[in-house]
Amino acid sequence: MNAATDTFAADDAAAARNRKIIIRGGQVAVAVALIWIWKIGADTAGELFVADPFKVWDRLIKIAMSGELWMHTYETLRISFIGFVIGCFFGVLMPFVLRRLPRLTDAIEPYIMASVGVPKYALIPLFILWFGIKDAPKLWLIGLLVFYPVFIAIFAGIRGVDGRLINMARVVGASETRISREVIWNALLPFFFSGLKIALPRAVSAAIIGEFLVGNKGIGYYIEHSRQQMDVTGAFTGIIVATALVLIVNSALVYIDKRVNAWRPTDRHMAV
Amino acid sequence: MSPARAEVLEGNAVTGWLYSHRDQILVLLILLAGWHGLSLLLGVYWVGTPWGVAVRLYNGLLSGELIRHSSYTLAEALAGFVIGCIPAAILPFLLRRLPIVTAILDPFMVGGYGSPKLALAPLFILWFGIGIESKIALVAFTVFFIVYFSTLSGIRALDTKLVLMAEVAGASEANVARYIIFPGAVPHIFTGLRIAMPYSIGGAVVAELISANRGLGYLIQLRSMNFDTTGVFVALTAVCLIVFICNLLVNFLERRLLKWRPPSDVTAQKE
Amino acid sequence: MSALLEVRGLAKRFATRAGREQSPWIIQGLSFSVNEGEFLTIIGPSGGGKTTLLNMIAQIDCATDGEIRFQSNVAPVNDMKSLKPGLDCQIGYVTQEDNLLPWRTCLDNVLFPLQVQGKLNDETKARAQSLIRAVGLAGWENHYPHELSGGMRKRTSLIRTLVYDPPVILMDEPFGALDAQTRLQLQDDLMRLWNLGKKTIVFITHDISEAIALGDRTIVLTRQPSAVAGEHAITIPRPRDIRGIMTHPEFIELYNRIRAQVQ
Repeated sequence: MNAATDTFAADDAAAARNRKIIIRGGQVAVAVALIWIWKIGADTAGELFVADPFKVWDRLIKIAMSGELWMHTYETLRISFIGFVIGCFFGVLMPFVLRRLPRLTDAIEPYIMASVGVPKYALIPLFILWFGIKDAPKLWLIGLLVFYPVFIAIFAGIRGVDGRLINMARVVGASETRISREVIWNALLPFFFSGLKIALPRAVSAAIIGEFLVGNKGIGYYIEHSRQQMDVTGAFTGIIVATALVLIVNSALVYIDKRVNAWRPTDRHMAV
Repeated sequence: MSPARAEVLEGNAVTGWLYSHRDQILVLLILLAGWHGLSLLLGVYWVGTPWGVAVRLYNGLLSGELIRHSSYTLAEALAGFVIGCIPAAILPFLLRRLPIVTAILDPFMVGGYGSPKLALAPLFILWFGIGIESKIALVAFTVFFIVYFSTLSGIRALDTKLVLMAEVAGASEANVARYIIFPGAVPHIFTGLRIAMPYSIGGAVVAELISANRGLGYLIQLRSMNFDTTGVFVALTAVCLIVFICNLLVNFLERRLLKWRPPSDVTAQKE
Repeated sequence: MSALLEVRGLAKRFATRAGREQSPWIIQGLSFSVNEGEFLTIIGPSGGGKTTLLNMIAQIDCATDGEIRFQSNVAPVNDMKSLKPGLDCQIGYVTQEDNLLPWRTCLDNVLFPLQVQGKLNDETKARAQSLIRAVGLAGWENHYPHELSGGMRKRTSLIRTLVYDPPVILMDEPFGALDAQTRLQLQDDLMRLWNLGKKTIVFITHDISEAIALGDRTIVLTRQPSAVAGEHAITIPRPRDIRGIMTHPEFIELYNRIRAQVQ
């Protein structure tokens, strides 16, 4: 970082502790202020526009008790997981297949890269038209949204595997399966995770957007249905649940990544 | 050189290009043939033919209908993009000398960055109506976090030695910001813009899908309700074209503004 | 004396891309032999195809012409598919870069060859530990490569090859990128380990002093395309004092003779 942090490093531990307290306190203050602003907004704009934070809390408790919350959450997680597995499967498989077919890779690469730019969400109406209103259109959407980041990360990872490490492993007598498992797999893991870090939260978001437009279950459905019923409290509650869900998935991934890829120098420095 | 000879050379260049890209051209033909085959197999009702889409696209452009809807979407995306980008690019500069404030804000920014912003679309529609304002708000909100973090990483990645050198050479704080930090952060800001650009168009289209009375997303939704697949394909093609053109624009701007960078684009690869 | 490893009329040029001029010969008409238990050093100008030579002996690259014979095994020519890298673990290779696996700790990197060869047992583990102690890496076993200094990484890669005891070890400027002090220390370590086992070593360097200090015999290579420019037996008695060898009269005489040949 810059000169300011260097001076902190030079100071004694007490200063560092003080700084931590100031930061934590500041964060709590900002959080309280945000909720306060929200409350004022609700009071001034009226409940037709901004739901009261306390009523949102009450609603959250109510749907948690009645089981409605868990039903919708389960539905959203279920659909995101299946779509994620499908997208991941093809996203990992394709680069390994293409690795053996360099000519095919050269021929189709520009088309794959061009299709990255297609806004996938805009395809939902078409998917609904083609695949009906059950799970299928949502799975297509999630699958596509997951496929691209995983594919691109693994593709780049395979190209980046250090040939010298593979040669070294061969010289000391490692079999080809052993090399795949040891060298290629480990070298790919960070790339795979960087793909996952984009793909997994995206899968949950995509499920929610898909539920806006099709279906009668899931958190996305709950939000959109509440909005259409002019139930602003319901919409707010749904959005908060959706945000929490994505953020939890996000931080779980960051945690696992740190554990699995501990050997990487960058992560170490960031953790310190 | 005689004109005839130049023509031969050009002919050679064209055939040479065709030859070196023969695999790719073959794949394109296979894709088009597959598309056409599908529409024959399933019927135009389910999959519009490539030729039909091309004709509709041409007619739509001529009649001005497609242009009108595209310009709504583009206006939403552009306005939201500008409104979101400017504070996102400026804020990290203001926070550069306030590491504690940056640290306090960090979890909120990370939360905002990770949150499903498109899920807020119903909220924005509730607040700003089904018109252009709700889409602008959604796009701005989406774009803000992306650009904020890439600018922040640009300022953090900055070579401290360069700053010290400038301070030793007698540069004032303003000069350091103007001549060292800003040019050093520009590549990162551009990376953020390049990532944010498709999001802004995608965000506008999604908001239109959910609730709107004009724009390409509205067009897609309307036509799919009428089982007009050819029409949906046309609107989708228009969306893709817009993304493509905007990409070219950002790349062009980047190349103009960042002439000093070595051709191997190290910064962009690191992102 | 029986030659363990024999190189005869070796030639190498890299594959040419279509439509371009043929790429030049890197090595042409190179012949030499290595005896069992010998420490052979090879000196040559940089960019002279020394690494390519070792790659071909280790069978991770293919000769264009000529013959490489190890005992009864003849390396394939112009046939990448039938190469046998490391010849069933008979040829060890300490490369110029340390090529440690970044996701394995120091100890796990040393154990890697034993593991893939299925020779991991208490005896070999103890051997690995004693090697780690011998080169002064004790206490660093559980550190990742990026947490080690350049010299430590080099030591790790050195004992990773020593641990499975291949009869021949190829070394490609292993100490090239180190500072003078670390290099002396490592040369000392290497001499000590070699005196224990008397392996056959082919050691490439661009440093004349290093070639004399370590070797039984030195081969000087010409500029590209590489061939043998001269050969010198080094009869300075062992054990040698690496730090004091510069003042040995034979050293000075050899040094001048070799320098005249290295263009």
